Amino acid sequence: MAIGILIGLLVLVLSAVPVAAVLGILSFVLDEIAMDGRLTAALAEIYWEKSKEFILVAVPMFILLGEIMLRAGIARRMYGAVIQWLSWLPGGLMHANIGSCAIFAASSGSSVATAATVGTVAYPEIEQRNYNERLFLGSLAAGGTLGILVPPSINLIIYGLLTDTSVPELYLAGIFPGLCLSALFMLSIIGACLYRPSWGGSKIETNWGDRIRSLPHLLPPIVLFVAVVGSIYGGIATPTEAASIGVMVALIIAASFKTLSFKMLRDAFEGTMRTTAMIMLIVFAAIFLNFVLGFMGITQAMLEFIAAMGLTPVQTIYLIVVFYLLLGMFMETLSMMLTTIPIVFPIVMKLGVPEFSDVWFGILITVLMEAALITPPIGVNLYVVQGIRTRGGKFNDVAIGAIPFVIAMLAMIVILISWPQLATWLPNLVYH
Amino acid sequence: MLAIIHARLEQISRVAVWIGGAALMAAAFMVTVDVLCRKFIGITMSGSDEYSGYVFSATTTWAYSFCLLHRSNVRIDALYSLLPRPVAACLDVVGCILLLYYMSIMTYYAGIAFIDSYENNSVSITTLATPQWIPQLAWFVGLVLFLVTLVFVTLYTLLALLQRNWELVGRIAGVPSIADVIEEETHGQDVVLATGETLDRTK
Repeated sequence: MAIGILIGLLVLVLSAVPVAAVLGILSFVLDEIAMDGRLTAALAEIYWEKSKEFILVAVPMFILLGEIMLRAGIARRMYGAVIQWLSWLPGGLMHANIGSCAIFAASSGSSVATAATVGTVAYPEIEQRNYNERLFLGSLAAGGTLGILVPPSINLIIYGLLTDTSVPELYLAGIFPGLCLSALFMLSIIGACLYRPSWGGSKIETNWGDRIRSLPHLLPPIVLFVAVVGSIYGGIATPTEAASIGVMVALIIAASFKTLSFKMLRDAFEGTMRTTAMIMLIVFAAIFLNFVLGFMGITQAMLEFIAAMGLTPVQTIYLIVVFYLLLGMFMETLSMMLTTIPIVFPIVMKLGVPEFSDVWFGILITVLMEAALITPPIGVNLYVVQGIRTRGGKFNDVAIGAIPFVIAMLAMIVILISWPQLATWLPNLVYH
Repeated sequence: MLAIIHARLEQISRVAVWIGGAALMAAAFMVTVDVLCRKFIGITMSGSDEYSGYVFSATTTWAYSFCLLHRSNVRIDALYSLLPRPVAACLDVVGCILLLYYMSIMTYYAGIAFIDSYENNSVSITTLATPQWIPQLAWFVGLVLFLVTLVFVTLYTLLALLQRNWELVGRIAGVPSIADVIEEETHGQDVVLATGETLDRTK
């Protein structure tokens, strides 16, 4: 029976049936088997109750904020400024790629937009400065993934919603791992360029005068970050309120860059609503599926199955990591989170290890999702970077170039499992 | 004829999305004013959270049609992208039919929920005591618009499939190419594609 359902599910997913429909139909089938279809009558009620929850409003707000910032025209100037500060390192502009992506993603939230925008600005430099093309492309694909770890992150809101974890705590927890992962990316670049100095391209002249003069170009994303994250931790605002304030600040920034127009807003609205609809269609289907699964005791069966394997808590965590790395090669990240977390999360909580907390697991999952974005055959960021190569080339170049950064992510995962405090220290300091 | 209806639906869904986006921005403004008043003047204007919740629930359903017509609904294309076009076209139609099945059940129960709220005069359990049928109507209308769009897209693709017009099926309901995805995510702002196109139509 269970096997039959699983095969059916696999067929539907592989047939590229819309994920929302897969989740919805799976819920109906399970409900029919276990409860004679009684739960389906509550479908719309559950949807309605969840859809007016204030925390969820943060999702479209953060998307709108990112859409406005994307159109405010800050990318090129910001990249120029980051070059001044980071390109003295071995590997030159590739560090600016990571840095710009981290800063840009902190306001944009979409890894696709981040990799495509920074990528377009950076790409011509490969030829001009003789960089190793593969590594350079890899740094763009990997840098783009930082958006879902560095707050404000939409993935962390969805995780918070699915597991009843505090979103402000998750945001605080993401800061150090985000910085640490950026540093690991940069170390990978330095390592590669020390091994093969020719990969690092020709030297870029910078000086302190230019550095200081470039600072105003970094101001917009920093102001926005402080307004959003600062208002949460200043105790002034909830995440949704902070996102709303962020939208207003982004409008002011766009106005000051003279990019605010009726057409620009219309484009931003279209982008925002399209992405929101795309996310929410599957979020609501997943919420209903969780409701049905809760009645069926599937989670309990899963817990007993794991307990029967007799693994230690750390072994169980590594088993989960391997599961996500494999799944991440083939699945899109949001669907992967929505379908698996309701089952995997209780397993982690049942391990009874205080360090492996709900907040910690949210960060671990997010790093695993980042890895999924750059592991072939299906890694969205790899395709995006391939999509902006004006001189063309093999897809494999991007995939191979991303390998050092996948290794950096694996190192990050080991660090997070060995020292969970990296994620939990800051939120514990503030909240407990 | 069908192409005209398709274009008309696209226009309607686009206007719905503009209204939704504007409402969302208005909600952001309202919430910001609320926070600033609370912090600096000490006045709490309760209700902005409740209203923005309604704005969110309604605008989301209003945007579903646009999302569908722009082929942005999430599908796993690990296998799909390897298949020959005719097989993929069949899967596009199957996907539409299954989504239609799910959404018609959803919309049916949403209609019942709305009628219940209206007949029982349900109000929110907040100080505002908002009659629930008003925001629920806006929410339900979005679901109906989505359902109508889905029925049309399903029929349109089915017809194109029967005419063996694989390319048309792909254009209406296929998984978009990466160039399409980048354009949708960035609107071409600052992006140049491998094909040499600048996506930004304003330039």
